[in-house]
Amino acid sequence: METIVSIIFSGVFNASTLFLVAAGLQVVFGVQKVFNLACGSFYALGAYFGIVVVKSFVAGGFPKPLFIVPLIGAGLLLGFIGPIVERGLIKFVYDRDETFQLLLTFALVMMIEDVIKFIWGTSPQTTGGIDLIYGRINLFGATLPVYNLIVILCSLIIAALIGYILLNTKFGRIIRATADKKEMGEALGINMKMVYIKVFTLGTVLGTLGGALVIPATAVVSEMGVELIVLAFAVVVIGGLGSMKGAFIGALIVGVLKSVAISTYPELEMLTIYIIVIAVLVIKPQGLFGGSKV
Amino acid sequence: MEKTRREFVKLVGGAALGAGVILAGKGRASAQTIPAKGAPSEPIRIGVMPGLTGVIGVPGTAAWRTTQIWADEVNASGGILGRKVELHMEEETTAKECVERFKKLTLEKKVDVIVGLMSTGNGLAVGPLAEELGQLWLAWDGTTQKGVEETMPKTKFAFKSIDNEAEAIGGAILTAKYFPKIKTIAGINNDYSYGRDCWESFQAVLKHFHPNVKAVEALWPKLGETDFTSHIAALKKAKPDLIMTSFWSGDVPILMKQAAAVGLFKTTKGCFTTGGGVHYTLKKEFTPEGLILGYNSMYFKWTDTWPLLTKFVKTYFDKYKEYPVYECDHAYFVLQAYKTAVEKCYSILGKWPTKEEVGKALSGIQVPSLSGYRGYREDNIMTCNFFMGITTHKNPYDFVTIDPVEVLTPSQIIKPTAETKLYEWIKGWKS
Repeated sequence: METIVSIIFSGVFNASTLFLVAAGLQVVFGVQKVFNLACGSFYALGAYFGIVVVKSFVAGGFPKPLFIVPLIGAGLLLGFIGPIVERGLIKFVYDRDETFQLLLTFALVMMIEDVIKFIWGTSPQTTGGIDLIYGRINLFGATLPVYNLIVILCSLIIAALIGYILLNTKFGRIIRATADKKEMGEALGINMKMVYIKVFTLGTVLGTLGGALVIPATAVVSEMGVELIVLAFAVVVIGGLGSMKGAFIGALIVGVLKSVAISTYPELEMLTIYIIVIAVLVIKPQGLFGGSKV
Repeated sequence: MEKTRREFVKLVGGAALGAGVILAGKGRASAQTIPAKGAPSEPIRIGVMPGLTGVIGVPGTAAWRTTQIWADEVNASGGILGRKVELHMEEETTAKECVERFKKLTLEKKVDVIVGLMSTGNGLAVGPLAEELGQLWLAWDGTTQKGVEETMPKTKFAFKSIDNEAEAIGGAILTAKYFPKIKTIAGINNDYSYGRDCWESFQAVLKHFHPNVKAVEALWPKLGETDFTSHIAALKKAKPDLIMTSFWSGDVPILMKQAAAVGLFKTTKGCFTTGGGVHYTLKKEFTPEGLILGYNSMYFKWTDTWPLLTKFVKTYFDKYKEYPVYECDHAYFVLQAYKTAVEKCYSILGKWPTKEEVGKALSGIQVPSLSGYRGYREDNIMTCNFFMGITTHKNPYDFVTIDPVEVLTPSQIIKPTAETKLYEWIKGWKS
C-alpha cells in the first residue's frame, strides 16, 4: 500500500503542474487559435521570479511559513507580461498560417531562455529548503511532503476556479462564444481585442503561477520550460486540443502513467505515454474531450 | 638542426616542467610586450567552443568565464612570447553545427588552436575533423569514446578529455571503502551513453571489491529532466542500501531537494559521483552529511597551499559571486598546456612552431593547473587527479563541502592506455 500511495501521489503532483501549463495552452488555443509554445517559458519565468520573491520575503524577516502568499502573488503579478506579448507579438499572427504562429512562439521560447540567462545566469537556483518547514505526513506508510500536497490543492482550486469562470460568469460565456464562433462575437459587439488580451493573460498567469508554485519543491534551470512543453503536448493530444476538461484529465493520465511506468518498467517511461498518445490519435483523433469547447 | 620526434618530445617534456614552476608563481620572467624574435606580430587566435545553453550551459559557462579570465591575465602579462591572445567564440550545440563551426574557426577565422566541447557526441564528430584539417583541438570534457571504448587511440591534433567513466570508478572505490557493508544498490543515471557507462563501470568496480553486492533498481531519466518525484518513489520502493547517480548539472539539486522532501537519504546512503559540478547549489538545508560527493578534477577548497587555485577562486568569486567548478580546471589546463607547449617549442626550435610541432609538445606534457600538476598522456588523453569525499556541514558556507577529501590519482581511476579494455583492466586489479 505504501508503494502504491507513493507512486500515485508523485504522479498526481507531476500532473498538477502539468495541468496548469496545459490549461494555459488550451485556453489560448481555444479562443485565439494560437498554439503557444512559449507557455513552458512562462512557467520557467514564474519559477525564477518566485525564487526572487521568496528570497526577498525571507530576507525581509517575514515569517517563513507564510512564503506561499508572496509566491502566489509573484505568479499572478508576472501575468503582466501577457498583454505585452499579446499586443507586441501574437496579434500579428492571428490570421496567418499556423506555421507562422509556431515559429513566432518558438522564437519567444528562445528569447525568454536568453532573457533568463541574462538576468539569472545558467546556474541552477533554489529556494533552499523552505518547503521542508511544512514537514511531511504519513499516509498508509508512505511519506508525503506537505508542500507537494499544497501544490496539488492549489491546482485543484485553480481548476475549479477556471471551471466556475467559464461556466458561470459573463466573461466565461464570452470566452466560450468566441471560441465557438469569433465572427458572431464581433457581430454582437464584443471587443475582441480586449477578449484576446484577457485570455492570453489568463494563459500566461496559469503558466507563471504553475512555475512559482512548483519551485520550492525543485530547482530552476533555464531549460525547464522546454522540458515541460513536450509533456504538455502529450496532455493536449490525449485530452483534446482546446478543452480545459481535457487538460485536467490528460494531465492526470500523463502524470500517473509516467509515475507508474518509472516504478515498474523505467525504460518504458516515455514509450508508455506516447503509446497512449498514438492510441488516442488513431481511435479518437480529436482527443478524449476534443468535442467540447474550452 | 633537425631533431627526431623522440629527442624533441624529451626536450619539451623536461622544459615544460621548468615552465610550470615559473607559472606556479615564481615569476613571469618570460613576459614580453613585443613579439619574440621570429614570432608573427599579429595576435594568437584561439577558437573557443563552450556550450552555453541547455544542461551543458552550467559547466560551459564556467569554462567560458575561465577562458576569458585566463586570456585577460595572459594578455596583461605580455601574451604568449609577446603575442596577445584573441578569443573567437562559437557555441557548442549539436554535432552537425559543431562540425560547421569547427570548420569555420579553422578555415575562415584561421585560429591557431580550438579549445572546448563537453559532449562526447560532439567530440566523436569533431575528433576526426581535427585530424583531417590538421587543427589542434584541446577538448574540455569531450572524448572520442564509443561507450567505454576509445575510437581514436592515435591522434596528432585531437587532445581528448579524461575517460568518461573515471568518476564512476572513483565513486565505486570510495563506496567500497566507506560503506563496506552495503548489500544492495540502485542507480539513477541519465539515459545516454555517459549515464549508462557510469552505472556499468560503478557496478563492475564495486562488485570487484564486494562480489555479493546486488543492483535492485536502475532508473534512466532523460537528460534535462526536471522532476524526480516519480523516480524517488521508485527508489523508495526498491529500498536499496545505497543510491548511485552520475548526475552533473541542474538535476543534482533537484534530485537532492526532492529526496530531502521524503527523507530518502535518512535511511539510504548515496554516491553522487559528479554532483560537485554544481556543488554550490547543494544547500545544507536539503543536502545531508555523509554522502559521497565527487568534484571531478577540481575542488575549490582542496588546499590553501596552491597559489594558482587560491588566486583563481578569489578572482572567480569576486567577478561572478560563485565558487568555481571542475570545468574551470579543464578550461584553464588546456590553455596553460597550449601556452607552455608553444613556449617550449620556441625555446627549442628558435621559431614560431607549427600546429604539428605544438601537438608533439603537448603529448606527455605536465603543467600546473588549478588542481595541481596535470597533463596529457602520450596518446593525447588528459590525466588529472579527481577529488571526492564525504559531505559535511562543518564549513562557513550555506552549501555542503567534503571532509575528508580523497584525492584519486589517474592510475587508480583511468585505464592506462586508450587501447586497454576497461572491464579487463578492472578484473586485473588486486582486491
